[in-house]
Amino acid sequence: MIDSLAVAANDLRRFTRNRTSILISLIILPFFFTASLGAGQGGAGTHFSATADIRMAFIDNDYSIASGRLWQTLVSSPDFHRLVQGYTEQTAIASLGRGRIYAAIVVPKGFAADLANNNTARIMLYTDDSEPGVSDQIQAALKNDIQNFNPNLEVQPLRFNTSLFPVQIIQKGTVFAGFNVGLTIVLGIVQIFAGFYEIAGGMAREREEGTYARMLLSPISIGSILFGKTIFDLLLSTLRTFIVLGFAVFVYGAKPNTDLITLLSLSLLLALVTMGLGFVVSALKVGTRAVVILEFFLVLSLFAFSGLIIDRELLQGVSHTISILLPFSYGFDALKRTILLGTPVLSLTTDLQFMVGSALLFYGLSYVMLVRSRERLST
Amino acid sequence: MKELVRDTVAISVKELRQLKRDPVSLILTIMFPILLISIFIVISQAFSATSYNIPVVVADLDGTPASALLLDKLTSSPLIRVTQLVQTEDQAYNAVSSGQAFGAAIIPKGFGDDLIHGQAFVIVETDNSRITSSTIIIASMNRASQELLNEALLGESSLQLKASPVEIITRPVSGRPPSGDTILPGFLGMIAILGAFDDIVNAISRERERGTFPRLILSPISIFSIYSGKMFSTVLLTILRTALMLVIFRLQGLVIRGNILLIFLTTCLIAIFTLSVGLTLSSRVKGSSTLTILEIAMTFPLFTLAGTTNSPQTLASEGRAIAYSLPWTYGNEALRRVIYLGLGFDAIAGDLFILLLGSLVLMPIAIMLSKRTM
Repeated sequence: MIDSLAVAANDLRRFTRNRTSILISLIILPFFFTASLGAGQGGAGTHFSATADIRMAFIDNDYSIASGRLWQTLVSSPDFHRLVQGYTEQTAIASLGRGRIYAAIVVPKGFAADLANNNTARIMLYTDDSEPGVSDQIQAALKNDIQNFNPNLEVQPLRFNTSLFPVQIIQKGTVFAGFNVGLTIVLGIVQIFAGFYEIAGGMAREREEGTYARMLLSPISIGSILFGKTIFDLLLSTLRTFIVLGFAVFVYGAKPNTDLITLLSLSLLLALVTMGLGFVVSALKVGTRAVVILEFFLVLSLFAFSGLIIDRELLQGVSHTISILLPFSYGFDALKRTILLGTPVLSLTTDLQFMVGSALLFYGLSYVMLVRSRERLST
Repeated sequence: MKELVRDTVAISVKELRQLKRDPVSLILTIMFPILLISIFIVISQAFSATSYNIPVVVADLDGTPASALLLDKLTSSPLIRVTQLVQTEDQAYNAVSSGQAFGAAIIPKGFGDDLIHGQAFVIVETDNSRITSSTIIIASMNRASQELLNEALLGESSLQLKASPVEIITRPVSGRPPSGDTILPGFLGMIAILGAFDDIVNAISRERERGTFPRLILSPISIFSIYSGKMFSTVLLTILRTALMLVIFRLQGLVIRGNILLIFLTTCLIAIFTLSVGLTLSSRVKGSSTLTILEIAMTFPLFTLAGTTNSPQTLASEGRAIAYSLPWTYGNEALRRVIYLGLGFDAIAGDLFILLLGSLVLMPIAIMLSKRTM
C-alpha cells in the first residue's frame, strides 16, 4: 500500500510540474467539450426550435384569405420566425443552396378552392437538402404547424387540441433536453479521452525518457505500480467529473435525474475500464505518437459503435458485434439510463457486469504482460 | 521571387522525402483517411438502412376492423418489430420502462368510431433515451396511419375516412432521395482538417524534437520559404487524400454533381487554413504528442460546430455564432454545395474567400510567433 501511494504521489508530482498536462486534462477537455455542447444545444432549461431562425421564403400564388391565414399561422408559430415574402417561385428555387434561404414554402393557385370543395389542398416545400438535418427539421415543423390549420378560423386553435388528420399520434414518454442527452456523452468521452492519454501516454513517455525500465526493475511490485497509477488517475477523474458536472449544472442548468454519488461511481467505473485498456496498450511497448493515434481511433470508434450518434441496437452486422463487445457502450448506456431516466444504478446489472468484467480483464492482462516485461528486463 | 519558388520547392521535396523514409507516417497518411471514412460510412449506412428491428409492443384496446388494420400496418412495417400484443395500457408502459421494448403503441377504445369522424388518436410511448429509435418509432406510426388513409381514399379498405385538409409535398433541391450520406462531404472536410493537423505535427514539432528545426532556420533560406514549402507539401498530400476519398465515395455510389477541381480547391484551402492554425499552436506547444492531443481535442467539437454532422442553421444561437466565426464551416458548406447541388465557383466564392482570408490573417501571426520562440 505504501508503495502504491509512493507511485501515486510521484505521478501527481510530475503532473503538477507539467503545465500543459494540467491544461489539457483539467481545463481544455472538460471545459471545452461541455461548453461546445452548451453552445450547440443551448442550456438544459432552454427550449429552442431548430427551424425558428432559418431563413425561408413564403410564396403565395393563391392570394386568398385561406393562404393569408396560413401565412399568419406559420409566422405566429415558434418554428418560423424568419419567414420572408417577396420571392417568386423561380427566384426562391434559384436562391436555394446559395445560403440566402434554406427552404421555400409555395402555396399554389387553387389552394383556397380545394379547401372550400373539401378536397386535399397542397403546399409545395422546396428545401436545401445539402444542409444536413435542415430539410427534415423544416418538413417536420411545417407538418406539425399545419396539422391544426383551419382556413375558416381567423384565430387558429392551439396545437394538439384537435386534429384534422385521420389518426393523431400522441407522444408520451419524457422528452429530454438536448443538453442533458449530450451531457451523458461528454462526461464519458472526457473520462475516456483523458484517462487513456494519462495512462498509456504517461507510460509511453516514461519509456521514451528511460524511466520505465527503472520503474519496472525497482523493488516495487507490478501490482503496486498498477494500483498507484490507478489512484493517481482516479483522483484526476474525480476532479474532471466535478468540473464537467459543475459546469453543466451551474452554467447550463442541467438537472441529472440521479444523485452525485451514482454519477461519480459510474464516471469512475468508466475511467477504470479506460485505465485498464491504457495499461494493456502501454505494456505493448508503443510510443507516444502511436498512443495518440490509437486514442484518436478509440474515441472515433466510440462515436460510431457506442450509441452516441446512432442507437447501437440499430447497427447491423459487424458494427453490431463491435458495439456488443465494446465495454464503453455499456458505460454510456448506464450514464444515459441514470442521468436521463433516473434508473437505479444497481438495477443496471448487465451494464455493470460488462464494465467490471472488462476492467478486471484489462487489469489482469496488463499485470501478466508487465510481469513478463520485468522478467525480460531483468535477464 | 525565383529564389522563393526554388527554396519552397526544395523544402517541399525535403518534406516528402522525409515522409517516404518514415514508413509509419507514410502508412498513416494513406491509411488514416481510409479508416476514418470507413467509420463514417458505417454511421451513414446505419442511418440509411431500409429496415430496423426496433422492438415495440402494441395494446389494441379497440378490437375493431379499423384497429386491426392499423395493427396489420404496424406488424408489416420494416422499421419496427412488434414483439408482443399486450392487453392493457399499463402493460404496454411497463414493457417500455423495463427496457423490454423501445416503444409502445396503444390503440384506444373507440378508435374505429373516432376514425370515421376524423378524430382518432393513437398513444405512443417511447424510450427517449434511445434517440434514433424513438424517432423511427414515431415515423413508422405516422407511416402506418398514412397508409391507412391512402387505402381508404383509394377505396381499398371499407373505412370511410376524412382526408387531411392540407398535404405537404416536399421537393429537395438536389433531387436526391433522403439518405444518411449528407454527412459525407462534411467528413471530407474533417479529413482535410485532421490530415493537415497531422502534417503540421510532422513538419514542425517532430523536427523540433529531432533537433533539426534550428538548423533549418539557420540555413540561408527565408522563414517564409520554409513555411510555404511545408504548406506546399501539405497541399500535395491533401490532393492525394481527397482523391482517395473521392474514389471511396464513388465506390459507395455517391454521385458527385459538381466540378471535381472545385472539391480539390476547397479541401486544399481547408488544409492551408488548418495549417495556419497548427503553425500558430505549434509556436506555443512544443511536444508533438501534446500538440496532436490538443488538436484532436479541438477537432471533436468541430463535428457539431463546423457543420459536419448537422447544419449550423439548426444550432442554438451561441453555437451558430461560433460556427459562423470558424472558417472551416464555410469550407464544409462549399463542399456540400459542390458535391450535392453541383454549384459552380460563383456560388462558393464567398466561402473560399473566407477560408483564404483566415489563412492570410493567421499565417503572418504564426510566422511572427515562431520567430519569437526560436
